[in-house]
Amino acid sequence: MIGTLIRRETLDNLMTFRFAAAVFIMLLLVVANTFVLITDYERRLASHNEAVKMHQRQLQEKITYSAGAVRVDRPPNPLSIFNVGFDKRLGNEVRISHGSVPSLWDANMHESANPFMDMFASMDIVFIFEVILSLLALIFAYNAFAGEYESGTLRLVLTHAIGRGEILVAKYISAMLCLIVPLLMSLLLATILLTTSASISLNNNDFLRIGGIIFTSIAYLSVFYLIGLLISAATRRTSTALMSSMFIWGFLVLVYPNVILTVTPRPEAPDALRTSAFNQIESIWDTFDRERKHYLATDDFPGEDWGYELKGWGSRGAYFLDNARTLSYTYRSTMDFEGFGEEDEPKMPHAQKHFGFLGAQTIDAADRTWLIRKPTLEEIFIQPANMERIWLKLSPVGLYDAATQAWAGTDLLGIRDFFHDARQYRQSVISYFYDNKVFESRQWFSGDKGAADWSGLPQFSFQRDDININAKRAIPDVCLLLMINVVLFIIIFLIFVKSEV
Amino acid sequence: MIWHITKRELYDNLNSLRFALTTVLLLGLMLTNAVSHLREHPKRIQKYNEAVIKSLDGLASHTDDSLYMLAQQGPGMLYKKPSPLYFCAEGGEHLLPDVVEGGSPFGYSDNLRGVWKLKYPDANINMKRVGPDVTKADWAFVIGYVLSLIALLFTFDAVSSERESGTLRLMLANSVPRHTVLIGKFLGALISVSIPFTLAVLLNLVLISTSSVVHLDTEAWGRLGIIFFTAFLYTCLFLALGLLISTRVQRSAVSLVILLLVWVTFVVFMPSTLASIASEFSPSISSEPRWKRHNEIQDELWTKYDKWLWTNRTEKETLTAKSEFFTKDAEAEERLNREGLTEKVAQVQYARAITRVSPATLLQHLLESFAGTGFERHLQFVENTQRYARQLREFVADTDKSDPESLHIIGVREGMTKKKILPETVPKFEDTLDFNKDFNTRAMELLLLALFVIVLLSGAYLAFVRAEV
Repeated sequence: MIGTLIRRETLDNLMTFRFAAAVFIMLLLVVANTFVLITDYERRLASHNEAVKMHQRQLQEKITYSAGAVRVDRPPNPLSIFNVGFDKRLGNEVRISHGSVPSLWDANMHESANPFMDMFASMDIVFIFEVILSLLALIFAYNAFAGEYESGTLRLVLTHAIGRGEILVAKYISAMLCLIVPLLMSLLLATILLTTSASISLNNNDFLRIGGIIFTSIAYLSVFYLIGLLISAATRRTSTALMSSMFIWGFLVLVYPNVILTVTPRPEAPDALRTSAFNQIESIWDTFDRERKHYLATDDFPGEDWGYELKGWGSRGAYFLDNARTLSYTYRSTMDFEGFGEEDEPKMPHAQKHFGFLGAQTIDAADRTWLIRKPTLEEIFIQPANMERIWLKLSPVGLYDAATQAWAGTDLLGIRDFFHDARQYRQSVISYFYDNKVFESRQWFSGDKGAADWSGLPQFSFQRDDININAKRAIPDVCLLLMINVVLFIIIFLIFVKSEV
Repeated sequence: MIWHITKRELYDNLNSLRFALTTVLLLGLMLTNAVSHLREHPKRIQKYNEAVIKSLDGLASHTDDSLYMLAQQGPGMLYKKPSPLYFCAEGGEHLLPDVVEGGSPFGYSDNLRGVWKLKYPDANINMKRVGPDVTKADWAFVIGYVLSLIALLFTFDAVSSERESGTLRLMLANSVPRHTVLIGKFLGALISVSIPFTLAVLLNLVLISTSSVVHLDTEAWGRLGIIFFTAFLYTCLFLALGLLISTRVQRSAVSLVILLLVWVTFVVFMPSTLASIASEFSPSISSEPRWKRHNEIQDELWTKYDKWLWTNRTEKETLTAKSEFFTKDAEAEERLNREGLTEKVAQVQYARAITRVSPATLLQHLLESFAGTGFERHLQFVENTQRYARQLREFVADTDKSDPESLHIIGVREGMTKKKILPETVPKFEDTLDFNKDFNTRAMELLLLALFVIVLLSGAYLAFVRAEV
């Protein structure tokens, strides 16, 4: 019996104008936007490759270790086509230096050709789904019960020996079947376009991630279909159901995500925390500076010049760099000499010993700074942002957005993985420096006896996490979506069972 | 007769669920808008005032020193005045720079320093912000998205439901011309949408104008009037669209589906998709050739003036050469800065022109301009700073000329007047908005919007006249 019901409902839905319109509009929007998004991704990839090449060239040009700046770049995420998240917004290159631990707040952006173009909102496939899928689901649902109440067919169906639960399930399954068709079609087309693009190579994990996005989309679709059913069952009149559905759609999709953050109280900037952390960091570097000066005063070489009065051909500079807003503090001393006169030779061993000492001291100070900086940054920047995210998640749209970001790896955690890798890379660079006694070497400050050898430096490559991590991050939100589904279904069932026909 | 039909439509609507929901929704949105504006605006004003005072202090201290210092250091930072109508349209203000630098003379060596020039900062991308992206719930959002959707919800069944229930046939059986019916329906829907909207706007304006932190002058009220009129026109557009589809389609459900899809495409997707497509097709911008030219010009200047630059002699020839070198170098750099900006602006203008196909973008542009925010306003601000720069340079030259003892060589200490200048006489930068200019540049878009309305209305009329009942 339930089979017959499902067949009838499905046929009813398939033959309607709204189904044709749904398929048409989904395909049109998704395909058109996928083209635009792929071109955009290709451009970002090209600019990334260019930046990597440029950074390598700049590094190779430096003849001393102290003058070289190792930079690592974050490649654009191909799945940002589905949900762009933070992929375009947060910094995508960061300097790896022994004097500071790299973090999200030290990152820069490759020079964008025209930053003014960022005024135009960018759109991704998930955004299209957010708007269109929810709208379609409501359009399919509004007359599911109300229409049958009005025309009296429901009474007719119920005269047969058939449970009300079965009718509900049949309606749900058949409508979802019809709605999934345009969803799958458009997503598959988008994936096909992705795979045919030469610059995008997707691996197994990426396909699994796309699978996760599809699953989440279906859960989202189902939430809105059930909201529509609930309205339809509760109002009993088509026109009322339609109006209420549209206003609820407008509220959930249009108004709530855009307005909620201006309504909620903005957390006060924890200035006291920032200042106290910055003072601690300052004192670390003060100690560092004292020890540095103490060394210079007490070593075998007379005078306190950090450059050991070397008079060669080249440049030198030493300075502290700090930023109270992002709590960064570092000491940088660079020496870039091409050659020395005779009188400098006896000073060399002293200078080399000093730079060996200074290197170790700087690393130590930087590591201790990070211990203070990390929790403070977390509290100042991440926690208020997480609070905002929770507010957004009160609407299914926010949940869907967060879950798909997590699947695509463009959420904040996904971006922060890059900086985690960058920190590990810094460790390996430092151990390479230690192993090869780079700090004590003459190449640290001078290129006259052979230039710095950058070829032995460990290579950086950012591997996106495997699918398990993505799944772990997405599951809570997906589960919440599923829970909303179950709750809505139960409520509808109760209303429908108790209603008079 | 029109009035009868309008009245009937109006009564129908006033009793309906959609009217109640619309009122609640619009009042809530406008209340939110006012509250958040009253919370944010004082901070904005305070920041601006502090920055301006700091910049004027710098200017005063240069003036105190000598005319030479003023000619060398320039006016310092020039700030964009925040608009009191910020709540009408945010217009991407958070991305646009609010300052033009007029200072930072180049130091060639310790005792050789050039003269100031204008520098235009790039749009600021905040890479440190880890929170979610949100659009401001400004009037542009309320009108552009919410009000247009509501307009469709009021008209999608205007004709089709009467046709379904058969009342249309009944009505036309009387001696009522068809256009009267259509106009009556249109007016009825317009009035019923306008009532909650006007209420919401009034609530918003009452809250904002009674608070002590925002001062709206007569010009601001004039601008608000035009914004209100634009919103009206925009609503008419969607009402006409609703009537057109409603007449063409037999069933209201179908009519709603079509309208919603059209709305989603034109209002939600078109603006950003078209901008992306436009940016794909516009030529890419690179600062490299500009820098190359910059270096060439500088090399040229160096070879030409090198022999005079490094001496401390004070005879007229050396001083004139130095002055020429400084001025030409600063001029060249300023020109390159301006060209860089122009190139970027052209790309944005191109994308903005293409997105005008969507009425939502038209409305956004109009609201931005009349609210004194957004991109066009930024360009106006840049123009203001350029005018001020000319004014200040003229002032320096004129003041110097009025002293007969001076050698009239600008940019070199020995060549300029040693007389004290009165700080009051130095022109101060004030960022102004020109209402007439805004209106003139936007008149075309306003007319385009009106044209859309007329086309859709006549479309609806033709469809209704020919429709079978």
